[in-house]
Parts: sequence; structure tokens; C-alpha cells
Amino acid sequence: MDVGSCSVFEAEIKKKQGERKRKSLHLDHFSLTTMLHLTTGRVGSLLAQRVTAALTSSSVRMASHGHEVAANEDLSQPMYWDSTNVPLPDRRYKVTLSSEDERLKQKEKGPWDQLSKEEKLALYRLSFSQTFSEMNQPSAEWKTVVGTIFIFLGLTGLIVWWQKVYVFPKPPRTFDDEWQAKQLQRMLEMRMNPIEGISSKWDYEKGQWK
Amino acid sequence: MAHPTQSGFQDAASPLMEELLHFHDHTLMVILMISTLVLYTIITMTLAKLTDMLVLDSQEIEVIWTILPAIVLTFIALPSLRILYLMDEVSDPHLTIKATGHQWYWSYEYSDYENLEFDAYMIPTQDLTPGQFRLLEADHRMVIPVESPIRALVSAEDVLHSWAHPRPGIKVDAIPGRLNQTTFMASHPGVFFGQCSEICGANHSFMPIAIEAVPLPHFENWTSLMIEDA
Repeated sequence: MDVGSCSVFEAEIKKKQGERKRKSLHLDHFSLTTMLHLTTGRVGSLLAQRVTAALTSSSVRMASHGHEVAANEDLSQPMYWDSTNVPLPDRRYKVTLSSEDERLKQKEKGPWDQLSKEEKLALYRLSFSQTFSEMNQPSAEWKTVVGTIFIFLGLTGLIVWWQKVYVFPKPPRTFDDEWQAKQLQRMLEMRMNPIEGISSKWDYEKGQWK
Repeated sequence: MAHPTQSGFQDAASPLMEELLHFHDHTLMVILMISTLVLYTIITMTLAKLTDMLVLDSQEIEVIWTILPAIVLTFIALPSLRILYLMDEVSDPHLTIKATGHQWYWSYEYSDYENLEFDAYMIPTQDLTPGQFRLLEADHRMVIPVESPIRALVSAEDVLHSWAHPRPGIKVDAIPGRLNQTTFMASHPGVFFGQCSEICGANHSFMPIAIEAVPLPHFENWTSLMIEDA
């Protein structure tokens, strides 16, 4: 797999090797280390790509939640699929039929009311892998999503609490309960916001909230 | 001033601010209706069991959802423009006051009276008496007579400031070298606090404005006292 990120090294190598070819072909320290760097670089980035794919690709996430992924298909051949949007695929699900299946298929050519319920179901399963209700089954992915959300909320909460304890300075004295009470009383006495605001909620005659 | 955790507007202290409050209610109602419609559409489309695979375009709905927003916007624009022009009406003011912004205090000149000028500095937090409002109290309040149209001429001495109080619904930029005019009227007596609304340096948050609207006899008393003290 050519990652292309070592082209600078490769250019250097080619130049040095070109020069050295004219002299001799023995492996010197420089070419050994550069070749090692090339390999390590290639292996390292290959590894990184594989790990990223493993951690984030949709096929991996789906497979871990009960939606098994089939092998990669040749898309130029008639395909089978289960889809509610496009419900009739290119081909039947079971391509090669046993003799029992062949017999059932022959019986299907006759009147259908002579087919028993199990036979009808068997015929369905020959043509299709999943039923509509099976296709529409929900997965367990929501649990991972919700769990991750809560984890991050919790982490954020932890950070906020730590900030409150170790970072924030003491609030000004106007935030003391006593001051706030006096402030509220002053607001009421000054009739602040008397129409729909705070002074309108106070009953001045009875001296209490309405 | 607002009470703690207040999220809505404070009550209006002038007719213009009442108009603005009503306009705000009207606009928010329009927004609520649009948002409800959109939310409903999103939910029904997401939870629908069937998918139409062959939708490419639809001219009819494109026309509808272009024309309909235009109509909705006129419903918002017409009241808005009305208030805009209402704000610029000059209403034969009884009094003219010059408010000048400095770094970092306001000065007021009542040129209709002789020698009535004073500066208004914020009362620092450590000098407040219990119950006073932090960052809002000023050592001198701009006193005006209630229910009289007042012309305010706002300017600045050094850098940009802005003379703003939410309750009378005033916000006028104080620009050095320029005189901005606004007229307003206090509908009822009270103290209306405001804060400088244009960044002007280190103490931009610490140069409040306090307007005190009082009945006319009290106002005349005050002016006499201020002129004597000057």
C-alpha cells in the first residue's frame, strides 16, 4: 500500500542510490536507516489508517450493534438486497435450490390456495432474506449514543464543578443573601417595573406577595 | 432594573417603549408560528414510514414557500417601519438636556437653566450601602419632570459612548464631534437605570446612567437646589 507520504525520502534515496550505483552496491548506514524509516513510516501510517477505520467506520459500528455486514460484493452482477425503499431486488435470495425447494417451486405454479401456511412462508424465505418487520427492526445503537452523551455531560459537569471550587473568585458582597433581600425591598419601595414586573407581583396593602 | 434571572424586557417607562414591546410580542408570535410549522414538518418527515424515491423538484411548492415568507415579512416590516418613523417625530419638548460621555462618566447640562451642570460617576461597589444596585447607582441622577417630552442631545468628549436605558427605550450613540438628538417622555415617576453601550475603554462597564422622573414641582425644587449648590 503506497501511502505517498514518504516521497521526499524516496527522492533522496533515489538520488543517493543513483550516485552510489556508479560506485558500489553495498548497503551503507544511510540507506539502511532511510529504508527503515520508509518501512516504519509506511507500516505506521498503515496501522493508523486501519485503527481509524476500525474505530469509526459505519460497517464496524453497525456490526457491533447486531447489523452483521456481508462480504463485499461484485456490483456488476445482479444483487440481492433487503430494502423497504426498493423492495424488489434483482435476484432471488436463494439462488441454488435444493430438490425440496424445486418441488415447492413447482407447486407454486399451481393454485395458491392449495399451499399450506408453512409452504407459503418457505417460499417467501426462498425469495427473500428478511421480512419487512425484520428490516425495520431498531438496533441498540441508541444506547451507545445516549450513554456517550451522558458521559460527556458528566465530564463537563465535573469540569464546571472544579472551576467553581478552584478557579472562580469570591462573588461581590452584593450577592450575599442579606444584600439581595435589602435590594429586593428597595426595588419594591422604588416601584421598579410596576406594570407587569416585580412590583406588580407585590401586594402593597397587605405587605406580601400576591 | 431587572430582577435576578429576568429574561424578558423590563416594563416600559415611555410610550415609545410600549410600542416596541408590543412589536416584539407580535414578531415573536410570528416566529413561534413559523417554528412550530417547521418543527411539525421535520417530525412528520422524519417519522414517515414511506419514502418517495423519485422526488426531483416541485414548482408549485417552490412558489408557495417563496411568496408566503414574503407576505409574512411584510407583516413584520410594516409595524417596524411605523415605529421607526414614530421614533423620529419631534414632539415639542419642554426641556433640553445635553448628555456628554467621557471616559468614564457622564456629564449633564441643563442649558435652559443657568449653570446647571454636573457629572455622574458610578458609585463603586465598596461604597454602596446595603440594598443599592451594584454597577448601576450613580452619585448624581439626571432628574426630569414626568410626562413631559424631553429633548436629549447626546455627544462625547473623547471616544465613542452610547447613552442607553432600557425602560424608556432610549439608545443614542455618543460620538465625539457630533450631536445626536432624541426625544422621549417618562410616562410615570421612577428611577430608570442604564449603562454605557459602546465600548470605550477599561471602565466601559462602570459608567451607568440613572434617570429620575419626578413630578414637576419636585423637579423645580431640585433645579433650584442644584443651581444654589453650583
